[in-house]
Amino acid sequence: MERSEQQAINRVVHESDILIIGGGTSGCLAATELKEHYPDLDVHIVEKAHVDRSGCLAAGMNAINAYLNPGETAESFVKYVRYDSCGLIREDLVQSMAELFEYSVKKVENWGLPILCDDDGNYVPRGRWNIKINGESLKPILAKAARDSGARIHNWVVVTDLLMDGDRCAGAVGFSLRTNTFYIFKAKAVIIATGGAAGLYKPNNAADAQHKTWYSPFNNGAGYAMGIRAGAEMTSFEMRYVALRTKDAIAPTGTLALGVGAPLVNAKGERFMQTKYRHLGGDGAPTPYRAYGPIQEVKEGRGPCYLDTTHITEEQSRQLKSAYLDMYPSQVLYWAANNIDPAQHPVEVQTTEPYVVGGHCQGGYWIDVDRRSTVPGLFAAGDVAGGAPFKFVSGCWAEGIIAARAAGKEVSGMAMPQVDEAQIDAAYERTFEPLFNYSKIKYGVRPYDMEVRLQKIMEEYAGGASCNYEMNEERLMMARQHLAELPDQFDQLVVEDTHDLMRAHEVLDRVVVAQVLVEHLMARKETRWPAYQTRTDYPERDDLNWLHFVNTRRDPANGEISVIMHPYEQLIPGDRYHPGAAPKKPTA
Amino acid sequence: MPVIVDPDLCNGCHNAKQPPCVRMCPGDLIVKDFNSNKAYLKYVDDCWDCLPCVKACPEEAIRFQLSYQMGYFNATLQPHVHKDRQHITWTCVDAKGNSEEFQIRTKVLPVALDEKLDDDLTPDFSI
Repeated sequence: MERSEQQAINRVVHESDILIIGGGTSGCLAATELKEHYPDLDVHIVEKAHVDRSGCLAAGMNAINAYLNPGETAESFVKYVRYDSCGLIREDLVQSMAELFEYSVKKVENWGLPILCDDDGNYVPRGRWNIKINGESLKPILAKAARDSGARIHNWVVVTDLLMDGDRCAGAVGFSLRTNTFYIFKAKAVIIATGGAAGLYKPNNAADAQHKTWYSPFNNGAGYAMGIRAGAEMTSFEMRYVALRTKDAIAPTGTLALGVGAPLVNAKGERFMQTKYRHLGGDGAPTPYRAYGPIQEVKEGRGPCYLDTTHITEEQSRQLKSAYLDMYPSQVLYWAANNIDPAQHPVEVQTTEPYVVGGHCQGGYWIDVDRRSTVPGLFAAGDVAGGAPFKFVSGCWAEGIIAARAAGKEVSGMAMPQVDEAQIDAAYERTFEPLFNYSKIKYGVRPYDMEVRLQKIMEEYAGGASCNYEMNEERLMMARQHLAELPDQFDQLVVEDTHDLMRAHEVLDRVVVAQVLVEHLMARKETRWPAYQTRTDYPERDDLNWLHFVNTRRDPANGEISVIMHPYEQLIPGDRYHPGAAPKKPTA
Repeated sequence: MPVIVDPDLCNGCHNAKQPPCVRMCPGDLIVKDFNSNKAYLKYVDDCWDCLPCVKACPEEAIRFQLSYQMGYFNATLQPHVHKDRQHITWTCVDAKGNSEEFQIRTKVLPVALDEKLDDDLTPDFSI
């Protein structure tokens, strides 16, 4: 590249006590908690969009789905999540977040979130763990609190990698989408809260609806990727999230199943969950089975499947639409555009592209109860953190709070870490390479082209929707082999502006996440979570050998990924499965 | 095409460099063309249908319809934020032209017409 081009990019250095990467659900609560308990600490949030509407909550939310309604406790919550996750979770993590549901929800209510209350002022429950909210403006409310807390917010800055001081995380680098700036954030501790990963597999819809996804298509797994590159241990990526969603619009179905008690039926009107999956809990079977059941019905010729809403009144139909408008407005338009009235017609459902997400499932950083990752100085909260499914919104708040408290304590009295210039220069080159390639490479690879290649590999060899989410050793070997080619092509990516530079980093981060995901899928030689992880060569759950967490660590020196097993620890006594699904006697 | 900025209604938020629709899109998909002084959805294929742009537009100039593959023309859904910012009225028109309204409680925070950039350096990156 020309020297003059290099000089056209400003370098801006920010030093802070704590850097929060990602100003979403967790990041905003981490910031407010830090400034409340440690007002003297300098806290920076770096966000690739604008905090007012960034992350998963851009469209809003109509319920808090992780809350302890009257009669429930942190322990009963752990038991339920353990059951729903087929007997394998980090109980310490789930319990510690449940203990903060009320604290975090009350906090956000005080900031102005409308929560539905009955005449006595009690929250209106929607199931055991759910309360109803009017959360269309939930994200701006969180963002305002973060801003008012005194944290400094950097909008439109795309973080591309972490900075290290030896083994310790010492900050991050990124570039601005709006100004020609390379950012160097040095920090005593980093809280990573970038969310999970969508876009690893072929999306449900094509062309100008390719981003009509349930999970935010802008969550590309950047936080996983930068942790993987830094040698952080990751857990349970193989527990992918395959969600049961409305057909085409891909809207959440809790509003139908919990909101108006709509049962799953197949094309014949049969309540197959109640018959075929009765021993696993029927309509209340663990979430993976409520995706697996419909997939099997369709596969065996009894599709489409529906959530049957035809028992509801016209007034309830209007209430349903109102609920969707607070969270997922396009569902209401979809019904209008297709002449569907949920009171007259059952709502067709389908399953989504597989996501890696620590908030619904448990793929993410391997952390301790303070949300410390295995890299010193690096904390993880929210969808990027592993081991604790069923977080949803309030669990992400709780994790942001826990990470903030621990990070705040850790940095008190600590000196600023040292980052050598050579590392910064290398990160600069890596960050802008696709842009500099514009004047160097005549025929290059567009980020979109690489994304489609990645999605094709994952779809066909690593259990995409079109393969009924099924996989075996041989197919996964093919995925591994093809994915190994992609990193060698990163230096062929060419972009001409900062928006596409963001897209380039999104895809190369997705490739890193996909490589790790495939190693996880290969390692678990059982089927613990059907649909999420259907191994046709190991179709049964195998507690004798696989009641373990599958973790991976990529060696930063040579890029080799090694698999590490951690045993499951039961902290809360009691059954781990539905009585009908008790473990089979070991046959050795 | 999911959201469309109506060029007849968009006034570019006068001389705003970063009008609300440009700022509120979580995907960085909307840009302002300073020649015509109008915003438009530059990356049509990448829209998430999340609607912060539609809600934040002070001129109500952004139309929401589905991608044609998702549903029939000419169904639309438009939010209108009340002056008290405590309610939104959504008007949903189906493919046959029938209209349905929903009034929903909320707490809409004010959105400024423009916002200064972080470290306010040279805008408009180009090589």
